[in-house]
Amino acid sequence: MADEKRNLTSEDFRFVQAEEKIYDKKFDTKPIGYFKDAMIRFGKNRSNVIATSILFLIVLGTIIFPLLSTKNYTLVIPEFSNLPPRMPVVENFGLFDGTSFKEDQPVDLSTIDPETGLGFPIGYESEYIVDGTLKNYIKGCTEASELCQAGENVMRVTSNFDYLSIFSEEVLWVTMSQNPVVKININEIIGEDVTLNVLVKPTTSSDYVVIGSITDTDGIGEYTFNFEDAVTGITPSLIGSKIKLQFVSSDVSSYIVFDTVEVYYDSQDEAIYSYSGFELSEFEYDVEDEFSSGTFSRQNGELLLAEFRYDNYGAALSDKEILAFSAVDYYELIDSYGADCQAYDDPNNVDPEGKLFPDACPIKKIIARNESVIVAGEEYYSYNLILNYAEYKGYTETPYFLFGTDMAGRDLFTLLWVATRTSLIIGVIVASINISVGIVYGSISGYYGGKTDIIMQRFAEVIGRIPWLVTLSIFVALYGPGITTLILILIVSGWIGVASITRTQFYRYKGREYVLASRTLGAKDSRLIFRHILPNGIGTIITSSILTIPYVIFAESTISYLGYGIGHGQSFNILGVKLSGVSVGVLLSDGRAELASRPYLTLFPALLISILMITFNMFGNALRDAFNPALRGSE
Amino acid sequence: MVKYIIVRTVWIFIVLITILSLNYTLLKLAPEYPPTTEEARGIYYARQVADGYMTERVIDDPTEVQSIRDGEVEFCSNCWAKLEVDSSDNYQFRIYEPVPIVVQYFRWVENVVFDWNWGYSTRVAVNVPVFDVLKERIPVTLQLNLIALFFYIPIGFVLGIIAALRKNTWVDNLISFGVMVFISIPNFVVMTLLLMLLGYQLEWLPTQFPANDIEDFWLQFKGLILPVLGLSFAAIAGLTRVTRAELTEVLTSEFLLLARTKGLTRKQAVIRHAMRNSMVPLVPGIIFSFVGLLSGSVIIERIYSVPGTGRIFLRAMLAGSYDYNVILATTAFYTIITLFAVLLVDLSYGIVDPRIRMGARK
Repeated sequence: MADEKRNLTSEDFRFVQAEEKIYDKKFDTKPIGYFKDAMIRFGKNRSNVIATSILFLIVLGTIIFPLLSTKNYTLVIPEFSNLPPRMPVVENFGLFDGTSFKEDQPVDLSTIDPETGLGFPIGYESEYIVDGTLKNYIKGCTEASELCQAGENVMRVTSNFDYLSIFSEEVLWVTMSQNPVVKININEIIGEDVTLNVLVKPTTSSDYVVIGSITDTDGIGEYTFNFEDAVTGITPSLIGSKIKLQFVSSDVSSYIVFDTVEVYYDSQDEAIYSYSGFELSEFEYDVEDEFSSGTFSRQNGELLLAEFRYDNYGAALSDKEILAFSAVDYYELIDSYGADCQAYDDPNNVDPEGKLFPDACPIKKIIARNESVIVAGEEYYSYNLILNYAEYKGYTETPYFLFGTDMAGRDLFTLLWVATRTSLIIGVIVASINISVGIVYGSISGYYGGKTDIIMQRFAEVIGRIPWLVTLSIFVALYGPGITTLILILIVSGWIGVASITRTQFYRYKGREYVLASRTLGAKDSRLIFRHILPNGIGTIITSSILTIPYVIFAESTISYLGYGIGHGQSFNILGVKLSGVSVGVLLSDGRAELASRPYLTLFPALLISILMITFNMFGNALRDAFNPALRGSE
Repeated sequence: MVKYIIVRTVWIFIVLITILSLNYTLLKLAPEYPPTTEEARGIYYARQVADGYMTERVIDDPTEVQSIRDGEVEFCSNCWAKLEVDSSDNYQFRIYEPVPIVVQYFRWVENVVFDWNWGYSTRVAVNVPVFDVLKERIPVTLQLNLIALFFYIPIGFVLGIIAALRKNTWVDNLISFGVMVFISIPNFVVMTLLLMLLGYQLEWLPTQFPANDIEDFWLQFKGLILPVLGLSFAAIAGLTRVTRAELTEVLTSEFLLLARTKGLTRKQAVIRHAMRNSMVPLVPGIIFSFVGLLSGSVIIERIYSVPGTGRIFLRAMLAGSYDYNVILATTAFYTIITLFAVLLVDLSYGIVDPRIRMGARK
């Protein structure tokens, strides 16, 4: 096409306005102002728009959710503590369904069902263990606990001591005519020149007498020793004695392992006294003997443990025995239910105050009335009663605590929004302080320049070079942890960034002709600063400073996480804004101790603060890029 | 150049001295927390006297002693009195009184500069010289941070270079998104999430920093993974972003076009011309990033129970039981490292950028 030769004659051209006068014409399109231009640029970046929307939703959420919430997020309700998350819809897929998986819970040995062979864990209500999830298994244990079954016992000598003596707690009574014997089963004997002496103290003798010894040359196996060897002279028909075991060794690395100590009658197969496992480990150290010292420990024990899924909500909302339910609350409750809570006497209760209630009443039964206390002429007392928690708290069906509850029974979902609100408000307040201080400082430094500028820059540099640990230590030591410390730490060096941006803007505009013109007309410094220079730079300054808000939130959460900021139970009033003492950092700090057992306490706050920070940063960057396209990409 | 170095060095020393003095004076204004037991307190105050921070006097006049014991006379507000029985069974008061803070400050400077005596710990390790407490912990912290430094630099560079070379492709978008995410999330949140996932849920890594005396190399190695990761994520993100920005700028510059027109392949041009030029401004940033790592490691040490300087600092900062000497020494450690890095950065700018070298003469 381009190569094609064209022949153009004068007929191909014509005058457009040969006869007309030329006037200024109005634009056919609408003019695009500075802000509109910025908004168009802002809207072009899809991901930034998404981020901004999410940020907007989060801010909206911090306002709306605490208002709408019907759940408790301020009071401590121990009965609702540590409930796992429960979400509608998702729960049908087995995720966040209000149950929690427990493992390594010791089994109450008395509850073992002979049919299934399964035992129930200690400290849990068996009816709320989800059907079919209970499993029992055995784990090795060494602790001296009743739950730790079977296993062996080991004796060792401490260095510089000659032997270790232990003896049975109870006194063993045996009839001599039936030929009682002590049986001991040795599993291992390690070391040279080591001996295990078995001693008894018959009533006739004042001292323990050795009835038998086992040495390392004898080796392992079962040994039997006769009681008779201890008795000299006239044999009494009945003797009572403790059994004493004495491990003799001069080497700390030698030890002896045995699992049972039993006393038999010669003629019978069944032991009359038998010690093994936990009972054997209960043998006492001979503390009166100053030459005896060492350790008597267990090994290879078996601990029966259970793993199961537990319905925490069911357990929390069941009938519960409440100790010390205050009478004031009690009468309030009774009044509010009226006829539904008409108490009648409990025939089976020993306490004269014992009462029963109809089914419709959340109180099921009064067990007893506690003694009253008189404080300042007023009488206070309380009841021990059985209360249905679901009805008492007004739950007709199992509630959904979306993110679970924390240790104090507060709804984490609502609490998290309240915390985010606190973080955001602190962020905005501190950032506005920083921005104001920064603008003033930067204006002075930038406008006057010269020596003033140099001195102010040097001062700002010194302040900016102070490590945050130094600021932290100074303010914490002087004012103690709390909101004052928190805000002081955040503003002490936070304004420097804004100041340097402002200074740059002032350097950029103060030499312009219009400033010079104004100056020659006799304008004062204040007029030049506030009317001519600052308004030109303010857009850049503000949009660049928006990023201080996420920075402040970041720093606030870090300081609160370390425990030097705000905390539960506090509330403050800053510039007319009422804040609770819970911020996201505080929630994360709460969750830290329970990272293993209750990860949701950390997971949800961590996710929310991450999303908040990411969207806030994206929003800030987008805003800055939109208003100052020249700065794009230079972070 | 020499003048530039001298000016910067002197300036850094002024800043250092200002910060340390400010810290010392302000901490001295806060209420004291001497050792809790009577015996340790006696030793502590005797040492304070020896170091010149306090004066000691004895009240042995029986009537005066009696009136103090009866609580009739307040002898002084911020001093400590010890009741003693002397050889002839008379009661006497030994009174320790702090000297004015200005005097204490000069004594402190003297002790630190001439004897390297940073005082004695009052709560963390009672009556142990503070420097001895710190000495064992500095290597742990430095080791952790140096490993993190050498771990994050190559990753950050590579990601930044990839993003710059594949600018505006999905690879670049993915990396830029990751950068945005990790630069935004506080590092203790990253650390907590990592610990939760890799430590507690999957049980791949230990949930606590293994004790130093365990001579199991594999365990020690595994123990380093989580804190190094926790420290590195934000640093990687930062470095990637800067590398990408610098390299993008260089890639569009005219000398690179010239290199291509001379006949160099893209690969040659990028490696020989673009890379080198973009790396130059990055080096000071990397030196300074060490300071960022170090201050971030305080909280990581707390989460992962790493026995480093950060943890000892937080222990000395337990509310209502402050150990000022430990706080002072630890913050001095952090301040010195920070300012040393600043100095290095300043000097490296001077070496790298000839304009600054010239500027020294004005």
